[in-house]
Amino acid sequence: MYISDKIKNQQSYDAIVIGSGISGGWAAMELCKKGLKTLLLERGRDVKHITDYPTATLNPWDFKFGYNNTNKDREIDPVQSSAYGPADKHFYVSDAEHPYIQERPFHWYRGYQVGGRSLTWGRQCYRLSDLDFMANMKEGIAVDWPIRYKDIAPWYSYAESHIGVSGQRENLSQLPDGEFLTPMELNCIEKHLGESIKKNEQNRLLTIARVANLTRGWDSRGPCQNRNLCSRGCPFGGYFSSNSSTIPAAFATGNLTLRPHSIVTEILFDDQKQKAKGVRIIDALTNEVHEFYSKIIFVNASTIPTAGLLLNSTSSRFPNGFGNDSDQIGHNLMDHHSNAGAYGVHDKYTDQYYKGRRPSGFLIPRFRNLTDNENHSFKRGYNIQGHGERREWMDKSQSLAGFGKDFKAQLTTPGPWTVWMAGWGECLPYYKNKVTLDSDLKDKWDQPLLKIDFSFEENENKMMDDIKQTSADMLEKAGFKDISIFNYNKPGGSTIHEMGTARMGNDPKTSVLNRFNQMHGAKNVFITDGSCMTSSASQNPSLTYMALTARACQFAFDQLKNGHL
Amino acid sequence: MNRRTYIKNSLIFGTLGLASFSAFKWFEFSKQIDPKTLWDKKELIGELAEVIIPETDTPGAKAASVNVYIINVLLNCTDAKQQNKFLTGLDDLENYSIDKYGKTFLKCNLTEKDAIVEHFADHSGYSNRLINKINNKLLGEPFYSKLRNLTIEGYCLSQLGATQGLAYDYIPGKFESCIPLQKNQKSWATK
Repeated sequence: MYISDKIKNQQSYDAIVIGSGISGGWAAMELCKKGLKTLLLERGRDVKHITDYPTATLNPWDFKFGYNNTNKDREIDPVQSSAYGPADKHFYVSDAEHPYIQERPFHWYRGYQVGGRSLTWGRQCYRLSDLDFMANMKEGIAVDWPIRYKDIAPWYSYAESHIGVSGQRENLSQLPDGEFLTPMELNCIEKHLGESIKKNEQNRLLTIARVANLTRGWDSRGPCQNRNLCSRGCPFGGYFSSNSSTIPAAFATGNLTLRPHSIVTEILFDDQKQKAKGVRIIDALTNEVHEFYSKIIFVNASTIPTAGLLLNSTSSRFPNGFGNDSDQIGHNLMDHHSNAGAYGVHDKYTDQYYKGRRPSGFLIPRFRNLTDNENHSFKRGYNIQGHGERREWMDKSQSLAGFGKDFKAQLTTPGPWTVWMAGWGECLPYYKNKVTLDSDLKDKWDQPLLKIDFSFEENENKMMDDIKQTSADMLEKAGFKDISIFNYNKPGGSTIHEMGTARMGNDPKTSVLNRFNQMHGAKNVFITDGSCMTSSASQNPSLTYMALTARACQFAFDQLKNGHL
Repeated sequence: MNRRTYIKNSLIFGTLGLASFSAFKWFEFSKQIDPKTLWDKKELIGELAEVIIPETDTPGAKAASVNVYIINVLLNCTDAKQQNKFLTGLDDLENYSIDKYGKTFLKCNLTEKDAIVEHFADHSGYSNRLINKINNKLLGEPFYSKLRNLTIEGYCLSQLGATQGLAYDYIPGKFESCIPLQKNQKSWATK
């Protein structure tokens, strides 16, 4: 494809934000609210709240092939089609159009559009604690986090108060409470399992998931209507996304310029001032090259593309990639594993049912290695997520024999209660798990393809074995029958929690960002997407990105105001 | 060789034999089918689906046009192997009907139809799970099992199936976590 080498449109802004997903939306909102003229760049198309949710109100029978993807879907999107369905396919990229190289199997799920993957995220909101922030230091793994819980706690509150998180306070040190809206409710079997765990296990409990689904109206959105169709986009604004919340809020200030179809190819370095001066983009529609300039830049392209962008931005000052004095950029890639768990059937409560489709499940917060002297074959821990329900037709088709009237009657009435649960486990940062640029292959905009080399190691595999065991034990003690344990053996990336490729740390020699997500090597560049994570913890990470973003925006603004940037 | 080893070995050799047989079939089955051949069986597929999910006090598979769903999904969402396997299955069923009752399936009465479907339900796949797994992988899901699963899907996702055969709650609003099961309570159509 021909890319014009004439540079157009040299406009200046106070701030540029690269990427409009969950953290980029936050950066744009915070910077705009502080009065900075902000340019928000997004490589994909625009998606307007409600208007651009074409499937949101469709019925099951509106899909010609039901919930099946077509042969063509599987052929052109071998990776994405393993996550999407006909109802939310339009919020995923096409693999054919956006290829990447898997050195070892890695599922990289992407949503290139305004709002990014905040449209399709799992909405779980959990705080990290000092158990997480101090783990690397205590164990001598990778580098120490440059922050502690007290540094981020007020920003967690700030983020939660904006997005609206429903949840139950539990007073746990490993999973601090937040600012919660009324929790959603556990159903009969989940309560039963919870009571059994409380009775039988020390330092374990079962609580309702903490989710960015609104149990009452909030921020002129919601409440959640319990349709459980979140990944299509919510016409009620029942859950938080950039599209439903931060981007409209940024627009309301009058300070936001949103530019979709803008593929940022390079961050430009100003040799004289020794900081970034702006970015170069390719307009995906016209293939024209533009440059935009600003005082500060927030990089929120998401973990893997952020690493790619930095590595692609070379200069005499940064021959190995922008801000890459430490040679850590692209390395230490992490993703939670969520492969292992157990499933069981219960024969009680057959006279009980539920109404509505709660868009969340339960959580058994981390209970492994809470103290230094536990004797397990692995470091760190996991939290268990799951849900209880009565067996319905989708799950019966394999087990139900026969045909005809009786078969139909059984098929269409509630089956026994079941519980499915799996461990979301911490993944250690390994230098060898990495993203690099391929030296030969290019995409259709002549940009180098990203190469991902990742695998889980012994620590993660041993943890998965423990998850199977503890999950099955808890089900057994609660009287479940037909318990089956599983390990789905999905490749890395499958939990869609990529992290770690531009980590925070105290020492510029071993880390990319300082304690305020500011680049050690270029003080006016801030990175607050998943790439900043020094360790993965086991909590779903988006809330932490949002809190760190808000915190970094405040810091950047103060620095700018005081003339330091 | 003790008895146990013998059984184990014969199972393994049996599997290998079947696997090589499967390789031949795999070649035959990889050819694209003409969509028309499947659409020509629309009526037959509709009758079969109705035997699996008949009309009772709620509509059956036929009223819900499950046959159209089945053909659409087979043609667009399954590979050539699966399509061939399904077509062969339909042919086998027709041949069985003619052999046994001297007429096509569509001409059979309800009792005869039930007996024919019963026969194929009983002979769906081998009794050995490993062989089934290998066969499913190489040749697609067995005919009857595919027919039954697509009938279930097509019915439960259809407007009549979801709203009358099951209970459809378009916009629940509230979530009620534990409520007494109502008399004649149908399953929720979606989750």
